[in-house]
Amino acid sequence: MPNPPAQPKIRRRNPLEPYLYLAPATLFIVIVFVYPIIEIFHSSLLQNTASGIKTIGLANYRLVVQDPVFLDALGNNGKLLLSVPIMTVLALMIAILLFENTRGRIIYRGIIFLPYILAIPVVGQTFVYLLGLNGILNTLLRGAGLGFLTVDWLGSPTWVIPSISLVIIYREMGFGVVLFLARLMSLEKETLEAAAIDGANWWQKHVYVTLPQMSAVIEFFVVVELITMLSWVFSYVFTMTGGGPGFASTVMEFYIWEHAFAFRSPGIASALAVFLLLITSVLIALQFRVRRTSLEEVDR
Amino acid sequence: MKTANTPARIRSFLSSIPKHVVLILFSVVALYPVYYMFVTAFKTRAGWLHDQFGLPVPFTFQNIIDAMNRGNIPLWFGNSLVVTFASLVVSTIVSALAAYALARFHFVGRSFYYNSMIGLMVIPPAVLILPLFVLMVNIGLINTLPSVIIIYSGLVIPFSIYLLVSFFKSLPGELFDAAAIDGCSNLEIFFRITLPLSTPAVVTLVVVNALFVWNELFVALVFLQNESVKTLMPGLTLFKGHFTNNEPLIMAGSLIATIPMVLLYLFGQRLFVEGLVAGAVK
Amino acid sequence: MKSGLRVISILVILSLALVACGASTSGSSAQKVNLTFWWWAESDAPGADAWMTETVAAYEQLHPNISIDVVPQSTDTLISAFQSAVTAKSGPDMASQWATGPTLGFVWQDAIAPISDYVPASEISNWLNTNENMYQGKLWGMPMYLIGIDVMYNKTLFAQAGITPPASGRWTWDEFQAACATLKAAGITPWVEGDKDGYGGAWFFANVGIQSLDSTDDLRQAVIGNKSFTDPHYTGWYQSLDDMVKKGYFNQDIMSLDLNTSSQAFGQGKGAMSFGTDGMIKQAITDLGAGNVGVMQTPLLGTGKLASVGNATQSTTFFITKWSKHPQEAANFLAFMHTPDRLASWYKHTGVVPADSRFDRSVVTDPVLKQMMTWETTGPQVWLENYLPGEIDTNADLAAGQMIFSQSGSPTDVANLWERAAETWRNQHPDELTNWQNWK
Repeated sequence: MPNPPAQPKIRRRNPLEPYLYLAPATLFIVIVFVYPIIEIFHSSLLQNTASGIKTIGLANYRLVVQDPVFLDALGNNGKLLLSVPIMTVLALMIAILLFENTRGRIIYRGIIFLPYILAIPVVGQTFVYLLGLNGILNTLLRGAGLGFLTVDWLGSPTWVIPSISLVIIYREMGFGVVLFLARLMSLEKETLEAAAIDGANWWQKHVYVTLPQMSAVIEFFVVVELITMLSWVFSYVFTMTGGGPGFASTVMEFYIWEHAFAFRSPGIASALAVFLLLITSVLIALQFRVRRTSLEEVDR
Repeated sequence: MKTANTPARIRSFLSSIPKHVVLILFSVVALYPVYYMFVTAFKTRAGWLHDQFGLPVPFTFQNIIDAMNRGNIPLWFGNSLVVTFASLVVSTIVSALAAYALARFHFVGRSFYYNSMIGLMVIPPAVLILPLFVLMVNIGLINTLPSVIIIYSGLVIPFSIYLLVSFFKSLPGELFDAAAIDGCSNLEIFFRITLPLSTPAVVTLVVVNALFVWNELFVALVFLQNESVKTLMPGLTLFKGHFTNNEPLIMAGSLIATIPMVLLYLFGQRLFVEGLVAGAVK
Repeated sequence: MKSGLRVISILVILSLALVACGASTSGSSAQKVNLTFWWWAESDAPGADAWMTETVAAYEQLHPNISIDVVPQSTDTLISAFQSAVTAKSGPDMASQWATGPTLGFVWQDAIAPISDYVPASEISNWLNTNENMYQGKLWGMPMYLIGIDVMYNKTLFAQAGITPPASGRWTWDEFQAACATLKAAGITPWVEGDKDGYGGAWFFANVGIQSLDSTDDLRQAVIGNKSFTDPHYTGWYQSLDDMVKKGYFNQDIMSLDLNTSSQAFGQGKGAMSFGTDGMIKQAITDLGAGNVGVMQTPLLGTGKLASVGNATQSTTFFITKWSKHPQEAANFLAFMHTPDRLASWYKHTGVVPADSRFDRSVVTDPVLKQMMTWETTGPQVWLENYLPGEIDTNADLAAGQMIFSQSGSPTDVANLWERAAETWRNQHPDELTNWQNWK
């Protein structure tokens, strides 16, 4: 197929015209993103005292690095990252099953996607009851004769993060299913059917034929979810555990909020925010790989 | 399983049973919390203590009524509406203008700007929140709805621009050529051609952004502390904290808070799906 | 797509109708004074919310130009929510905070207007325990009630296990541990408590941890950094708590229950002992029956001078905020709560003694509640938690208890946590540190 013709240049009467169109958006971006990002670097070097604001250099960073709760928070975010492979595999499996069964596909998809649109405070509060000592999970365990496995899930320092992971997977998996299913439906049927005739079983067929064709969208989902585990889990922690027991479920976002608003230590909060930004930047850089990253690609 | 004489139809039906079992299992798990929220909301407190899991016996609307009267749920509901509506209007218009320029003009900084949008889409709000708080206090907008409207608009603009650029690029260039030859200004082209053609993309964008703003907790919690300006999600937190031991009442409040999105979803599921998938699937 | 638009427009219209309904019920008239009150008391004194609703109605009837908006606060965000308001320099006209440490912390942030500027001294002289909020000759907040916190026990369960309560009203620690062992062997949960929000552990600090100290100044020395919290003098008692947890003397779901839920659990017979305020004990008497609830003082572990003081406190202080535009009206409303009709109604609703000398205590007839009242009004009274800065309370006191109860940290870890929390507070708030150094 010959290359489509290049997009014609718009006649411009005023070379500043594009910038005018960009101006309102730029104003918002500066206020909501640029200013705060610069400011957290600046504030992290300061200390608020009644006699005025003093510059104290890197003292806040020293306090942060020596704070075991900071390491706990990082560790908790890290443990949450481990749930990404689980939700990816589950979502892939469901998407493939849906793809193979046209009967009821829309209904199943609709049901499995529903959790994603429920608000986190609502879902979190419900799971507080479901995961309680006499909630449904423990009741089922007892009913199955596995009573020795019952635990106060959200009150146990060992199990609280896995329990929060469960709730996150509950919501985010639907997004993955929808994403993967859309991709599957755009794949070429012939390849899949050819593999079936060649005698491959269900497992081989999908691992060797289907998955490689989905690598781009799988990568995309994994990166987006990794970022979510660092940047968008405040609401789960706030609603379900308040960071506890002790600090066992404190995550970076939550710790920043505590220092900024409960403990009145804006210097430390800013230093923590700088750390979070730097860590997330690594993943943001990864994100460029998995989205259409240049306008020329989009121009195509 | 080789059964030479079994018709293919029956074979495929049999092999599809385990698949359906798995799907049904996941569906039950997905629905259970919603079921739980629903039945708890309609139980009396005594009924809930007696039986946590079964259907409400006796069935009561009292919790729904109480949730509306005690606490301020209708007020918060209204605030959420105003904030969602305003943020969407502002961010959509602003993003459409910007995306139009990025999609159809060539100018210095074009790539940089577009790539920045991709990076900004996933900045953690926790990073931005303290400086924004101080800013809002200093300009006197703290505890007002405009503060969160500005912030939410800003937060969704990168994604909106990203999505709309993609869409605008897909519009056929000939339309614009023809209009330009006819002497239309760029602004006229924007309003008369680009926007009307973009209605499907704008609708899906609005739906996805509405979901984000309506469900958002963190920003609203920080900037809207006075009772009269709280939106629904932080309001629910306050509601829950106060009625700690009245689980049916709390679930009734949650139910009310979640109904709009669920209704929207039931009628417009496709919109959510398309919106979230856009930009990810080539 | 069209259906999507249609759905959106229907929802918008429906919602606008809802908003219109809500809006039409709030009228506004000229010269109407609106007061907002961030209120907390129900957890300490069940029934307080109903009393407040009644009080507001009565007051608004007497003063038709005043409308009062009561906003109930959550226990776990009581301090942080108000702290945010202070940082934002905007918020309610009146608010509630726990007495002494937390309240003074906000006084020093210039967030509170002293109530003694607005209420005549003749009225204030009737209020009890005002010393808890005096600073630089002014009274900064109003007490409403007095509670003590003692150990309530279930007589039936005790009898079942063959336990005799202490004749003196107070066990030694060894006697206490022996009783726990016996109860556990009999299949009864010895102690039921709730530490989900950290306050279960805080009550142990204020009742057991206090016993090694000699004075509130003793604690202050560690707060300001002259002594270290890692000294067993301050945190050694956590070892005894840890032992109890390891021996299984507490309810299994202690980390999922808050104090109110656990005290209700006590009322349902789920544990033989628990800490209780007067209000909680009154509720337990209702649940378990009058002859079935007994009260004793916290078992004796430490040998400091504070081991023998009572722990009655106003617990919660109500005050006027510095930014309120109607301080005098706010003060009038607060003082209204101490009028005779309101005091009597308070006791009727909550069973907790109001902090006012004009209240006739002969209406307290239940022997258990009378005993508590005697302890609360005899000799010096210190609620130790009041003598910590709010941040150290949250970061150390609450977190430490949670670490022990959930076994996510050892007593050594906990001691280090206390010291670190204090050090961070000192580093971050040198101005507050100065206030604490100069205080008393």
